[in-house]
Amino acid sequence: MSTRLSTRLPGVALAACAVLLAACGSSNNTTSGGSGGSSSSSESKVASIASEVPGSIASKGTLTVAADASYPPNEFFGSDGKTVIGMDADLAKALGEVMGLKVDVVNATFDSILPGLASGKYDLGMSSFTDTKKREETVDFVTYFNAGTSFFVKASGGPAINSLDDLCGHKVSVEKGTTQQDDATAQDGKCKSAGKPGVDVQVYPDQNGANQALSSGRADVSMADSPVADYQVKQSGGQFKISGQPYGAAPYGIAIPKGNGMSKPLLDALKQLISDGTYKSILDTWGIADGAISNPQVNGAQS
Amino acid sequence: MEPVPSAAEPAGTGRGEAIKAIPVRHPGRWLAALIVAVGLGGLGYSMATTKAWRWDLVAQYFTSQRVLDGLWQTLLLTVIAMAIGITLGTVVAVLRLSPNPLLSAASWFYIWFFRGTPVLVQILFWNFIAALYPTVVIGIPGGPAFWHIDSNTLIPTFVAAILGLGLNEAAYMAEIVRAGILSVDEGQHEAAQALGMSRLQTMRRIVLPQAMRVIIPPTGNETISMLKTTSLVSVIGYAELLYSVQLIYSQNFKQIPLLMVAVIWYLIFTSVLTAVQYYIERYFARGSTRELPPTPLQRLSRMLTTFHVQPPLPPVAPPGAAP
Repeated sequence: MSTRLSTRLPGVALAACAVLLAACGSSNNTTSGGSGGSSSSSESKVASIASEVPGSIASKGTLTVAADASYPPNEFFGSDGKTVIGMDADLAKALGEVMGLKVDVVNATFDSILPGLASGKYDLGMSSFTDTKKREETVDFVTYFNAGTSFFVKASGGPAINSLDDLCGHKVSVEKGTTQQDDATAQDGKCKSAGKPGVDVQVYPDQNGANQALSSGRADVSMADSPVADYQVKQSGGQFKISGQPYGAAPYGIAIPKGNGMSKPLLDALKQLISDGTYKSILDTWGIADGAISNPQVNGAQS
Repeated sequence: MEPVPSAAEPAGTGRGEAIKAIPVRHPGRWLAALIVAVGLGGLGYSMATTKAWRWDLVAQYFTSQRVLDGLWQTLLLTVIAMAIGITLGTVVAVLRLSPNPLLSAASWFYIWFFRGTPVLVQILFWNFIAALYPTVVIGIPGGPAFWHIDSNTLIPTFVAAILGLGLNEAAYMAEIVRAGILSVDEGQHEAAQALGMSRLQTMRRIVLPQAMRVIIPPTGNETISMLKTTSLVSVIGYAELLYSVQLIYSQNFKQIPLLMVAVIWYLIFTSVLTAVQYYIERYFARGSTRELPPTPLQRLSRMLTTFHVQPPLPPVAPPGAAP
């Protein structure tokens, strides 16, 4: 009896393939990454903040944090192919240390994280989530970073895209479930109603697919959060370049299931990290200090 | 229970009392049926009453435009991929059994390679082939080019999907068809040869029709499996049923109800394909048994329209009567 496990378990094959592609050193990928690793200074527990953590989580001792590890430099796989590293992972660990909790960062596909929070599979989601009013209907957020959306194109022969309006008539690759998907789809409607050719929005299950579409020419331009786009361009070794300026700066938020009581301790822990400089040093490690914020909030969505 | 007529009864006085036979009791079966009924009933009840299943959302999205578009794409991909798989697979299987060593080896290599790599990787390679070969040029190597085309135009996403699925399926179908051909008795080949038929004629008119009885059940299996395997094309961003459902719930966060929409559609079409396979098998089973067993529909109609009539009992002569 032939057992085609790879076709019976598409999820497993997909994750394995994502890792395979990541490890294969395709031009825009992360073999070196943060070679210095993620050495945040070891924080010490702050008792006043640790006491704010609700009993059910404090007794567990470990926070399970979900991230979609296809998004360097915010979250991606280290060289062992198993550990999630990046800005989000480092920040999550530092926050955990202040609250006196261990942190276990696990990989999950981006669009399964918010439902996973609602079902209790994960305690927190830290995966470059843009804090939007729509998402606030499902989860609470504590903002921790500011990022816009950048366009990146092939370095030689790529189109000049300076804003969303320039997308008309082009092929765009985006990751499924991101705000970039929403923006590109909305722009398609706007282009068509203005009588211009529409936008061919190609939605891939993860950022790797979107990058591959750009490098193979299936798409002319790709859109991603500005730190991610900057990192992809740096890693591509000259194959890609950033086009235009980032738009739509909006805060990233740590996604917290509604009513689980972690909003206040996280907010206070984050303020602690900002005031003692750990926050800035984590961002500097990944080269994305441009997006630092000084005033984190709970549910700080602007749109 | 009536007593058996005693040996003292005079001979020739007619038949004795009819024996009342009681059927064997199967208490274990009744108990097991009760347990299964209670189990399934409980499961069904919990699925119907637990709010979290959100059957209202399932009903709402069941016939939404995006879901139906995705469903159409899944069916289209299944049909085209199986068509490529069956035709190419038959060709490869016949070549595999060819006396020409080159053809046989080439066929073996095809089967080895396309069964030996994951379908997912094959789909990704076809879609992103332009990263390796940006243009396809037909011409004399080192000389003039007659025709060239951009790889992405030659192989758009849809073509990449059917190539990835179809070529992989052909490798598996080749083995199934080869099994069918091998199941035909060698005497058939000899008889065909004795009649002067060429290899191609033998294959087409004698061997393959008889091989169909062995080929159909696994092929039906493969088709039903392909219905679900098409969901892999989501990695190249092609919106078939499952991916369409995933795109919807990535924006409204209602993962379980939307997955149930996809599940129910897959079950419906698997049932349709199972029924189709049954009737195709019956078609090719003609002549293999004296009378084919009744189909479920025939059994149902017979059950509804036939009434059992008790045959009249033979007259029982009272004991002692003259013959």
